[in-house]
Amino acid sequence: MKKKVLATLLATALAASCLAGCGGSGDAAQTPAADAPAAETPAADAPAADAPEAEAPAAEAPAADAAADPIANLIAATTDTVTLKVWASEEDQDLTTKLLDEFKAAYPDVTFDITLGAESESTAKDTILTDVEAAADVFAFADDQINELVKAGALQEVVANYTYDVANDNVSGAVEAATIDGKLYAYPMTADNGYFMFYDSSVFSESDVQSLEKMVEVAQAANKKIAMDISNGWYIYAFFQGAGLDLKLNDDGLTNTCTWNAAGGTDVAQAILDLTASNVLVDMGDEDMATQIAEGNVVACVNGTWRAETAAEAWGDNYAATKLPTFKAGGKDCQMSSYSGYKLIGVNPHSANIGWAMLLAEYLTSEAAQTARFEARGLGPANVAAASSPAVQANPAIAALAAQAAYATPQRVGGNFWSPAETLGQILASGNPDGTDLQELLDTTVEGITAPVE
Amino acid sequence: MKKTVNSILRHLVLLLLAVIWLIPILWLFVTSFSGYKGINTSHFFPETWTLDNYAQLFFRSDSIVQYNRWFVNTLVIAIFTCLISTILVLMVSYTMSKLRFPGRKQLMSFSIILNMFPGVLSMIAIYFILKTFNLTNSHIGMIIVYSAGAGLGFLICKGFMDTISVSLSEAARLEGASEAKIFFRIIIPLSKPIIVYTVISSFLVPWGDFVFAKLMLNSGIATDWTVAIGLFNMLGKSMIAKYFSVFCAGGVVISVPISILFLIMQKFYVEGITGGSVKG
Amino acid sequence: MKKALSAIGNYFKDFGIAFVKGDVWVKVSAVLMGVGYIARKQVVNGIIMFLVEALFAVLCVGYAAPNLAKFGTLGTVQFEQVFDPLTMTSTINDYDNSFLILLNSIIALFLILVFVIFWIANVKAVYRLQLQQENGEHINTFAEDIRALFNEKFHITLLTLPTIGVILMNILPILVLVAVAFTNYDQQHMPPSALFTWVGWSNFKNLFTSSVTVTFGYSFKKVLVWTLEWAVLATFTTYIGGILLAKFINNKKTKLPKMWRTLFIIAIAVPQFVTLLLVRNFFADSGIVNTFCNNVGLTDFLKNVGLVPANLSYIPFLTNPGWAKVMIVIINIWVGIPYQMLIATGVLMNIPEDQIESARIDGANPFQIFIKITMPYMLFVTGPSLITDFVKNINNFNVIYLLTQDVFVTSDQLLANSNAKEVDLLVTWLFRLTNEYYNYKMASVIGIIVFIICAAFTLVTFTRTIKGDKEEEFQ
Repeated sequence: MKKKVLATLLATALAASCLAGCGGSGDAAQTPAADAPAAETPAADAPAADAPEAEAPAAEAPAADAAADPIANLIAATTDTVTLKVWASEEDQDLTTKLLDEFKAAYPDVTFDITLGAESESTAKDTILTDVEAAADVFAFADDQINELVKAGALQEVVANYTYDVANDNVSGAVEAATIDGKLYAYPMTADNGYFMFYDSSVFSESDVQSLEKMVEVAQAANKKIAMDISNGWYIYAFFQGAGLDLKLNDDGLTNTCTWNAAGGTDVAQAILDLTASNVLVDMGDEDMATQIAEGNVVACVNGTWRAETAAEAWGDNYAATKLPTFKAGGKDCQMSSYSGYKLIGVNPHSANIGWAMLLAEYLTSEAAQTARFEARGLGPANVAAASSPAVQANPAIAALAAQAAYATPQRVGGNFWSPAETLGQILASGNPDGTDLQELLDTTVEGITAPVE
Repeated sequence: MKKTVNSILRHLVLLLLAVIWLIPILWLFVTSFSGYKGINTSHFFPETWTLDNYAQLFFRSDSIVQYNRWFVNTLVIAIFTCLISTILVLMVSYTMSKLRFPGRKQLMSFSIILNMFPGVLSMIAIYFILKTFNLTNSHIGMIIVYSAGAGLGFLICKGFMDTISVSLSEAARLEGASEAKIFFRIIIPLSKPIIVYTVISSFLVPWGDFVFAKLMLNSGIATDWTVAIGLFNMLGKSMIAKYFSVFCAGGVVISVPISILFLIMQKFYVEGITGGSVKG
Repeated sequence: MKKALSAIGNYFKDFGIAFVKGDVWVKVSAVLMGVGYIARKQVVNGIIMFLVEALFAVLCVGYAAPNLAKFGTLGTVQFEQVFDPLTMTSTINDYDNSFLILLNSIIALFLILVFVIFWIANVKAVYRLQLQQENGEHINTFAEDIRALFNEKFHITLLTLPTIGVILMNILPILVLVAVAFTNYDQQHMPPSALFTWVGWSNFKNLFTSSVTVTFGYSFKKVLVWTLEWAVLATFTTYIGGILLAKFINNKKTKLPKMWRTLFIIAIAVPQFVTLLLVRNFFADSGIVNTFCNNVGLTDFLKNVGLVPANLSYIPFLTNPGWAKVMIVIINIWVGIPYQMLIATGVLMNIPEDQIESARIDGANPFQIFIKITMPYMLFVTGPSLITDFVKNINNFNVIYLLTQDVFVTSDQLLANSNAKEVDLLVTWLFRLTNEYYNYKMASVIGIIVFIICAAFTLVTFTRTIKGDKEEEFQ
């Protein structure tokens, strides 16, 4: 294990220095290289608990001198106060504050000035892209934004790990989600940002929730609603992908390929029309779902872990969650697919203290931090060790996500997908009021989704 | 008899209209006392009443609700904004109303057109201009955003100054007073109502703006915000279910001082906007 | 137009005369500003002029030249950053930021323009001094010059500060906006990590053409039509409504008029963003109004009439295009009428009572009086502010944005393909293009169009009011 880290570290170091060599020699160095006196102090300064690997090089590699112990070098090279800005979601503030204090305590020789701001993971991109340079040094974001963030140069590539092995300690889906073109750009924080089915087990039996048609039938009998945000590209994907139609990002990283209008597409569209026709499966946004679950009108919904609390409160012992059901398209049962979602932590390449920002990002995504995050907020860890704890396994929402994982795909889609897909959902959920031919409807949607980007 | 029926009808219609106009405000008010934090969609009046939302605003500051700080921030920004704006507006209005110089009318037309240009259109450019001066994420920057272009909004004030008789300043001029002296000693005191209007209306700007504030104060740190961004933020997707009634409480709290100022201002507003033309 | 041209012609002619006929000091002043002043004993003026020139020279070399050199390409050096995992530091190259180059170039061009004007004025002023000296007239001392700034040149003193503010906050941003419309500044070309460059008129072409994939032309037409419809509707409903309400309350038969007026004003004294966000939740699909309509059976009734789609269990107040447009206008009436009532009250109080009396004696009924006397009077007095309201409504960002953002999803696929919605005004569309899609180039083009529309409306009305203005009547 340790050897592997070291190997990756050295390999990436070589690669990076090569890159640096090719990058042109006229570069203006931002920070001075580690100076000689630093060489004597490192081992004592490196916090043992946080950097077990950091000690490894000294012990194992005979050629290793101080230069191979980056953390010690960094501490020695840091003389001024380290100013860092961190963004975490509103709900994550208390926990993050605690983690930041622990981080500061782990490096007692360095003076930190860390400010914590509130920025929701789901909208982090909007604020960051407006002005990358003004964005936080370390920020949390949902993995659907990684493509745009990388394109905008807002994410520092994770070329080396210092305190744990990001690529191997996290579940492979999360690492894949943080990787673009074979390069790792972020640190996985949670593995629970996908969606699945919540339901009230006093209304539905376990066999009911296997099929969406059956669920609609049962809910209709009970005069209750099933909610799903159909007029949203993220969710409507579940139907089309489930029926085997394709949507993916092209190699250029901008445009999409989409076959929703191919054979079978109209069956899916018809299925959505049929399912929503009885007004039992309703198109509803996340905020409305929260109130409607609490009011008792909605007894099942397609949503993610962030609604688990609301549902658990409203349904009490009857609170249950499972994978998404099947739906009938063109006479055959299709398992609804989904986007697997992850929350990631990224480092801003424009950060003035990029080394510390990376260490902090590692700290905030370490096994201990992920466990703490689960304990405090019930968020599913991306860390393999943290995720395998019995407490995590017993959480119904996380178990449902795990069950859905087999049908989930990582989210890789270009910006032109959202508006047309949203509108397709809106038209289908409102019963295709203009009576547009379904094939034509899908053709227009696909044209919009696959439109070229200048 | 018919008269009484008519009168009753008339007042019933007014009552109905007033109810329509006040229902949302009433909803704001009662929801601010709701024990349920989200949006109550089945009952108009809360099922449980509490003062907790107000307590949360004032006494339980956290990284999301920093109401006291927001209030102070906005107050400081508003005070400086209204001082600077008023001075600029008075300078321009006086120049356009009382002084004669070549190109005056062209300048006036140009300013009026420029003033019609909504700031939203060019806010990104404004952001980066202020960023080059390192004024983003600072309250000084906000004051500049709100007040620097204020000179363009001179029309109402100029209309009012047009009605101040020129004989007063003529007399002063004959006595050898400088233009500056006439401005400070004669025009300013006589323009009191319109100055009150200008002061209050520019004071109110920072309390209602969230577009520029959100763009400029983008650190994500709640203590930097103004009341408008703070409240706007509470209705964000992930927040609304837990903060709606707190939002209502916050809305009620800022509405009180603003309503009072507004009621004072509206008197002068009517005078200002109709003053010049009516007396003619 | 002719007048303006001849004014410009004269401006340069005067300069030419000054330069040609000027003596040696004038000619030296054209190179070394300030010499001409010092030669005529205006030492302080001379030194100031000289300092201005020196400052300008420094700015030219240090600021304008490096930026303007890249103005043609808007930069060529791409951002590159290399991270060294051993020292944990990163190296960033000396990259070009297209936006900053654009912004700084515009500021630099602006400074150069100001300097040229200053320089021309300098030559003319020195020539004037020469003439004054030749004619043996009095030449102002510095103290006298300063005093003039508080007398015959007081307008310069008063306008300097406001002008600087306006240039910074209004004119420069507009110039940047215009420039961006000719570039490819969008999400694929976003500084600092990418460069953008000039593309000529292609963005304008996109706005006016519609192909299968580029639907900006289609969307632009639709959005523009609704913007104008909305501006007309919003302006007139609140205007007429305000007058009617004011008349109703002011009527002698109404008891306690003050109290009624205050009740209506309370509704607008709450900040607009609070009330609008509140109303949005009030009319949400699963909001309280819908619960109420459901309970009293209104929803079912509307369904039977066909006003609500059959597969909905709620009234789509703000989510169906037709309903949303009507609701936005109604909510705007709710917001706007109290304002208009206030203004109308003020004006109506000044309406000549004798005219109404005589009309009544002639047997005119209240409706006739309203149409024949009240309305013409109101229009006469409030005409200009009506146009201002109209233009403000074209740009009524708050009402549309706060009521429909995150709530309304378009069901027009062609609109969706260019990120527009049925309820969008040009400004809200523009805002979404910049804020959510970073399509600055198209947003700038739309911004220019909005500006032209607004400027046209304002120009037509205000040049008339300013020219035939009553401002001299009292003077």
